[in-house]
Amino acid sequence: MRERLRFLDSGLLLPMVLLVIMGTLTVYSAGRGTIQSTLWLKQTLWTGLGFLALAAVAAVSPLRIFRSAFPLYILGILSLAAVLVAGHRIGGAQRWLILGHMTWQPSELMKWLTLLFVTHRLGTRPLASVGGWDLAGACALVFFPMLLVLKQPDLGMAISFLPILLMIPLLKGLKARWVLAALVGVSLLGAFSWQKVLKPYQKQRVMTFLDPGADLQGKGYQINQSRIAIGAGGMFGQGFTSGSQTQLNFLPVKTTDFVFSVWAEERGFLGVLLALGLFGAVIMRILDTARVAKTASETYFCVGAAGIFALHLFVNVGMVIGLLPNKGIVLPFFSAGGSSTLSYFLGLGVVMSVRYRAKTK
Amino acid sequence: MKTVAWFMILWLVLAYARVQLWKGREMQKLALAQAVKTRTTPAPRGIIFDRNSNKLVDNRRALHLVIQYEDLPRDTGQIEALAAALQTDPDQLKRRVAAIRQAAGNRMLVLQDNLDDGAVARAEVLRARFPFLSIEVAPRRVYLGEDLAGHALGYVGEVTPEELIKEPGRYQLGEIIGRTGFEAARNDRLRGVDGQRRILVDYLGREVATYGMQEAKPGRSVYLTLDAGLQTTLKEAFGQNQGAGVVLDLRDGGVLALYSSPSYDPNVFLNRLTQEQVKTYWENPDRPMLNRVTQGRYPPGSTYKLLVALAALEKGIITPNTTFTCNGHKSFYGRDFRCDAVHGTLNLVQAIAQSCDIYFYELGARLDVDDIYNTAKKYGLTEATGIDLPHEAVSRIPSREWKRRVKKEKWYAGETISVAIGQGANSLTPIALARFYAMIATHGKLLTPHLLYGVRQENGGEIDLFQPPPPRDTGLAPGIWSTLDEGLYEVVHSGTARESAVPGVTIAGKTGTSQVTSFVDKAHYASLSKKLRDNALFAGYAPRENPQIAFAVVAENAGFGASSAAPIVKKLVQYWFIDRVKKPLPPPGAKLPDAFRLDLEPGADEEPR
Repeated sequence: MRERLRFLDSGLLLPMVLLVIMGTLTVYSAGRGTIQSTLWLKQTLWTGLGFLALAAVAAVSPLRIFRSAFPLYILGILSLAAVLVAGHRIGGAQRWLILGHMTWQPSELMKWLTLLFVTHRLGTRPLASVGGWDLAGACALVFFPMLLVLKQPDLGMAISFLPILLMIPLLKGLKARWVLAALVGVSLLGAFSWQKVLKPYQKQRVMTFLDPGADLQGKGYQINQSRIAIGAGGMFGQGFTSGSQTQLNFLPVKTTDFVFSVWAEERGFLGVLLALGLFGAVIMRILDTARVAKTASETYFCVGAAGIFALHLFVNVGMVIGLLPNKGIVLPFFSAGGSSTLSYFLGLGVVMSVRYRAKTK
Repeated sequence: MKTVAWFMILWLVLAYARVQLWKGREMQKLALAQAVKTRTTPAPRGIIFDRNSNKLVDNRRALHLVIQYEDLPRDTGQIEALAAALQTDPDQLKRRVAAIRQAAGNRMLVLQDNLDDGAVARAEVLRARFPFLSIEVAPRRVYLGEDLAGHALGYVGEVTPEELIKEPGRYQLGEIIGRTGFEAARNDRLRGVDGQRRILVDYLGREVATYGMQEAKPGRSVYLTLDAGLQTTLKEAFGQNQGAGVVLDLRDGGVLALYSSPSYDPNVFLNRLTQEQVKTYWENPDRPMLNRVTQGRYPPGSTYKLLVALAALEKGIITPNTTFTCNGHKSFYGRDFRCDAVHGTLNLVQAIAQSCDIYFYELGARLDVDDIYNTAKKYGLTEATGIDLPHEAVSRIPSREWKRRVKKEKWYAGETISVAIGQGANSLTPIALARFYAMIATHGKLLTPHLLYGVRQENGGEIDLFQPPPPRDTGLAPGIWSTLDEGLYEVVHSGTARESAVPGVTIAGKTGTSQVTSFVDKAHYASLSKKLRDNALFAGYAPRENPQIAFAVVAENAGFGASSAAPIVKKLVQYWFIDRVKKPLPPPGAKLPDAFRLDLEPGADEEPR
């Protein structure tokens, strides 16, 4: 058995499993006594399905995966177009397709398909022959689905496409360290000015520009309740299923966007440290895989995957504590949702496939 | 790249450390403050029974739309929106919220009370829009007799913001207190002790769990001296006529019946009334809100002659055998005074029996007004009777000092002539008149009229009987008393009130007829025929040999006293001594025997509903 599953990377799998367990428990606690009381079961099913999908993808050679990148990308674009034409509307946004008894959010998977196709296109060329047009083309490949997603509208999701572009500076020989440092610097500056410098009406203008029709007052309430929940957790937390903010529903959207506040309230600062440590371990392992990858495409893909995880982690965990504007963006392994869970596992399956080939050949 | 990733994570860690460790306590307090609320459970007021355990006032559960003190909105925009949704005056609502904010407490602002099913549904819809609203269960008064004893019982209402500010700490926000009548006078006996409970609420303010509960202690059941049967008789005897009647228990001054006509139904005042509705009660020319028994001052007419006789006898101006001759009229101080008839020569007893004015004019000519005043003072007419009802008016007995002080004029001897037959400046409340005749009935004892009979101990225990102040002995000389008693007997036996005699019961009493009272609408009276402008009075006691009750009845604009007030008394005496179920009253100070608990199972009256 162990031999059979040797393509699975235990260094990535272990923190993933722990995070998934923590996340499912949190969804269970958050859903207690509400109409979402059985959501954790559904989430467990999706996670199981995710592990199967991950294993299936990891067992396939990365070469074969990248070979199907183009048709998959086209399929993804078509699914996004289908959303715009015949998607299911919930609360003013048209993001979902109805498939039988379940809803499917194509943009989640499209993120990974775009990453796969762009890294495939750029990675299969000799570096010397990659010109400005190629980069422009890569950008276009990312921006096109981003636009379709913005049209839904789904600003948070559109933002999460951006890490795909991370590898472009890498191609031009810039040291990744400096690029990332600059990026982080800019986002820190942005976050700082968002909190301390900009006046409320200026913020409102920015938000109105980015996201017309957003209910700023409602979002302010959400962030406030989320901060109270996190703070009330203190060092050791209020205990599993014992957070008053969570259990009395003061905390909004607590099974998806604000799921980490539940964890922070009920598990405290120590729980937050554990979760951030495990997320760190996942990201590090993906970056480590990028280092050992055999082809440029594979390296690019892993860097982009790490970027996507880092972005989700940073934006979601930063958002729920009020560091960043309140934008709907999910936290991998914690937030309930079939499309995102399955998509993350598929992405990580590709990463494991890359690592297995690198180790065996 | 890894360094950068670790750096980002470190930044998150620092941000969480700041909120969770540095600000943790503050955030915990905020979380508790919005999840844990203190709610007051209003205690039901004591149930009120008559002396025979007939329930007069009960409580039942009612739903109210309220804002809890801690949920009062700070945003004036929200208050305005709420006022618009409730279709009330936004300024008034703002004032209420502001006033309640000033007063400390943790009760609630009642927006709509006594919600019916439809109103509950509408309130629930409102709550979705205004999460600070809540629906509370609170006891509500039910006055079972409706207008049977409106003035005696009074009614309750929410304490006003002004009262909260005026006497901080005495009342709590939203507390229901007695506004008038017995409810107000004995508010402290009737009120219970509110309970408190700490509850967990969810984000919509809905109660999720209760912990820390202190039960409300209902107010104790209170028994009144009233007899529902006699009260009903009195009410029915008045019918549509206006006036006042009161019956006192001569053993201790307990009020057996007290009725002011027109009466009102206290249930009406439990609702939030519109300005229009308030006007129809408070600005009604018939003055239904006035308790005529304790607040209506009437010229006593001939009922006053007993006081004048008393003054003359005590001063030694006459003896019981002194006679004067009535020719139908006589001149005093250059003015002609008339009598109803030509009575011929009569002594005091005959003068009382025939209500001869000439006889008393003669006394008035020989007495100084201050002699009458001092006698009135000695026999308790110049003071409030002390009945346990709020805002009792004090009878007005003229004196030289009074005229100098009020009218800034000296007293003219001719005025004493009018005073001697109960006209002029003197005016008495019916309760004071009844107490004066009770004094004669008891050979000179001044009782304190009272409505409180007893208070049942907690948990349906014994009834602690109220001990009224001991009667004050005025030292009425037995010789004088027997003359007055005989005179009053002859009034009904052979005099002006012969037709009011009840076979088997000897009534002693005095009729009276007096002109327009001081508190009525003059324009209204001008439209009436002259005969109807007179008030009829009858005051006295029964039975003469062994007096048990004293009474005073005033029938407004009803003409001659003997023909309209005395028949009311006849009905009262008929009921009390003949028709009433033949059960002896328990002596004052004794426990209520079970025989007096008419239609209730033991202890059933203790169930707060």
